[in-house]
Amino acid sequence: MSISRRKFLGWLTAAGLSSSAFGKVAHAATTRHFEGHPDSLGVLYDNTKCIGCRTCEAACNKVNDLPPPDRPFDDLSVLDNKRRTDPKKYMVINKYDGSVNVETPLFGRTGCNHCLEPACASSCFVRAYTKTESGAVTYDSSVCVGCRYCMLACPFNIPTFEYDAALTPRIRKCTMCYDTRLVKGELPGCVEACPTESFTFGKRIDLLRIARERIRRYPGRYLDHIYGQNEMGGTSWLYLSGVPFKQIGMREDLGITPAPQFTSSALAAVPMVVGTWPLLLMGIYAVSKRKDKIAKEEKEQALAEVTAQVKAEADQKVSEAWKKAAQEKEKAIEAAVKQALEAAADVETEENS
Amino acid sequence: MKKRRSLLLLSGIFFAAAIVAFFTSKVQGVEEVGNDSPLMRADVITIDALKGFGDLEQPPVVFLHDLHTDAVEKQNKDCSACHLSEENRQSPKFKRLKNTSRQQVMDIYHVDCMQCHREVQKAGEKAGPVEKCGQCHQGKPKAISDRELIVFDKSLHFRHTEATKDTCETCHHRYDEVTKKLFYAKGKEGSCVYCHKQQTEENRISKRLASHLSCIKCHRETLAKKKTTPQAKDQKAGPIKCSGCHASEQLQLIKKIKDVPRMKRNQPDVVLIQAVQIDANKKGAPATILMNAVPFDHKSHEKYNDTCRVCHHADLNTCSSCHSVAGKKEGNFVRSEQAMHQLNSERSCLGCHGSRQSKPSCAGCHASIPLESKQQTSYCVQCHAKPPQRSTANPKPEQLARMMLKSRTAMTDTYRDKDIPETVTIKDLSDQYEPVYFPHRRIIRRLVTETKNDKLAQYFHSQKGTICQACHHNSPATKKPPRCYSCHGKPFNETEILRPGMKGAYHQQCFGCHQQMGIKKPDSLNCIECHREQKK
Repeated sequence: MSISRRKFLGWLTAAGLSSSAFGKVAHAATTRHFEGHPDSLGVLYDNTKCIGCRTCEAACNKVNDLPPPDRPFDDLSVLDNKRRTDPKKYMVINKYDGSVNVETPLFGRTGCNHCLEPACASSCFVRAYTKTESGAVTYDSSVCVGCRYCMLACPFNIPTFEYDAALTPRIRKCTMCYDTRLVKGELPGCVEACPTESFTFGKRIDLLRIARERIRRYPGRYLDHIYGQNEMGGTSWLYLSGVPFKQIGMREDLGITPAPQFTSSALAAVPMVVGTWPLLLMGIYAVSKRKDKIAKEEKEQALAEVTAQVKAEADQKVSEAWKKAAQEKEKAIEAAVKQALEAAADVETEENS
Repeated sequence: MKKRRSLLLLSGIFFAAAIVAFFTSKVQGVEEVGNDSPLMRADVITIDALKGFGDLEQPPVVFLHDLHTDAVEKQNKDCSACHLSEENRQSPKFKRLKNTSRQQVMDIYHVDCMQCHREVQKAGEKAGPVEKCGQCHQGKPKAISDRELIVFDKSLHFRHTEATKDTCETCHHRYDEVTKKLFYAKGKEGSCVYCHKQQTEENRISKRLASHLSCIKCHRETLAKKKTTPQAKDQKAGPIKCSGCHASEQLQLIKKIKDVPRMKRNQPDVVLIQAVQIDANKKGAPATILMNAVPFDHKSHEKYNDTCRVCHHADLNTCSSCHSVAGKKEGNFVRSEQAMHQLNSERSCLGCHGSRQSKPSCAGCHASIPLESKQQTSYCVQCHAKPPQRSTANPKPEQLARMMLKSRTAMTDTYRDKDIPETVTIKDLSDQYEPVYFPHRRIIRRLVTETKNDKLAQYFHSQKGTICQACHHNSPATKKPPRCYSCHGKPFNETEILRPGMKGAYHQQCFGCHQQMGIKKPDSLNCIECHREQKK
């Protein structure tokens, strides 16, 4: 007997329900606060020092061998439009209107924040992304299958896809100059180029200290918040600003939970489902199969017994009939013999008389 | 049949489109601007007198007071057309002295407003609403108040003392708790807000009520006098309309007197501010005077401020009457140390001096110098200076203060030109640009010029080299201060994480100062205005 469609779906639902119940436990087991690799590096962007000269963009373009821009880097009218990262630019500086008390325009940087627990890495099923111990989140195009899940996963909308590369499209994003410069002991391109040191490079732990000290010394200049200290569980890039971060195009609704934690409960159940459930389902299948088999055997046996009994009874009946018939035959013979004998005796008597 | 169906379909499409348009327009916040944009006026009064009797049934009425003042004037009526008087004082309420009951107050408005509106309408002139409730009770008011508060500064005060011929009792009074009457006490005058607070309290009306009752009353009387007596024809009378004191464009027109003579209230010229500690256990024991006393030039500080209230925030007594070394109940336990040194407060010495540093001529240097309440001793002794060698055995505090202030010197200059390098050649970034010839001496001369008329700066920039310390910071004032590269080198040094590198230090210093001082040239976004392009 085969499994019915209804039965199969029923099992599947049961499996789903119980795995999500177990998943809660799995999640609790993985809730540990990861504060980044020790001594990992990062960059602190201080928007009060930025003058919007785009030198960093030019340097980024140069050190990463990116194609030349549509408009030159010293054309500052580019800043009149809000831009985002694309395969040709790993970072952009955008200009924002100053608030009422700040007459000069404000600037904001958009680029990979190198999360401590990156969403892109957790969404990637081929492990193309690595959070290196240096702090940089790197990408390996050789394993990438081009699913672009990372682009959906990133809360900052950073990874971009080479849509115009027909055969070997890659994901492009800031590498913190990890393989091109950091490993050689050089500063990231943007950091080195900035004339005002709006970017401070160093150990993340030192950057936090610097940021806190700046806020303490100049309370009127800075907002008392270090963006990236806790956002999405913390990022290697940190930001200081004199105005609410929303005003310089940064999301304030992200919360402090690292992206992988949102999916860990569901994903933690995957090995269990993949490992255990086929076995269990096969087991259930085998048990039911065995049950069917036994039932079939029992039925056959019963049938055989009944058949045998019936046969035996029939045999008996036949044999009895035979016996009876034989007896009757014998009786008949006897009777016939007797009759014959009597007839013979009669004849003798007649002959004698 | 087919025709009817297509008609139904068409109407359905239109209906859907209308709904979509309605919601999207709401989502995008598209609102019609134009006739509906509210009027900005200084005379907006919100009539919600029934609030005191429970929830309002209708939206409050937005009433334009000046519009009605003009209308009443046109009919040759005066304020009494709407405001009743009692004991020679006009009630600010409409046609009543008190809020008696809900029904009565409501009736007063409905009957009296409408009656007048109808009369005006009958006369064939433009009148207020007479029919529909919603014409007065507008949910979305057509006028919004942009009322500004007038500051009764010393110029305005002087003009009033002139007009009243120094009869201070015209405005100033005190309250006698026993007789429950106002009386005038010579030499005890103070600011209105010392007694008249934001809200009406027992025995004292609010600042708002007091100013409207008293100011307008006097202005009206003066106006009336002008009309009746020929001698008073040229006398000036203050405004009686809302806009006169509350519209920003009218406030601009108020005449300002440049050099206001000192107020006459027996205030001291100089004060010796002493930290006095009195031992409460030993009665009659002489008070201990802690640390060096500060001579305070009261007369000069009167000139720097618009009102006495800037420092004398609660009354016109001495600071020590409320603030002592240990703090007193009268002063809300704010210690004298806090009262004098609190940053971000306009009332304290340090707070006010600190805020002066935000003006462009000071901010160039001072914006990058963090203001901290804990200072170096050298900074403390600028105010808490050592008293001079006493010529008399026991000088009076005021005498001592006068002597100390006299012995103060103002630093108006810096080192001589020959000691100041004219240019400094900066060869960093030589891989990209030609060296920068930094006009070192010209910049110093500019800084000296900027502080030329600033007594505060000249006193606190006590040494010739103080002005140099703006750039040559973290080093003592000296003729030959350390060079930039003595401390700044490669960026992001792990042992000195707060110290910028050479490139960052230069640019932060130059850009920061230029931005704060409003210097547009050289443009910080155009590198070649400082760095000349490399010759190839």
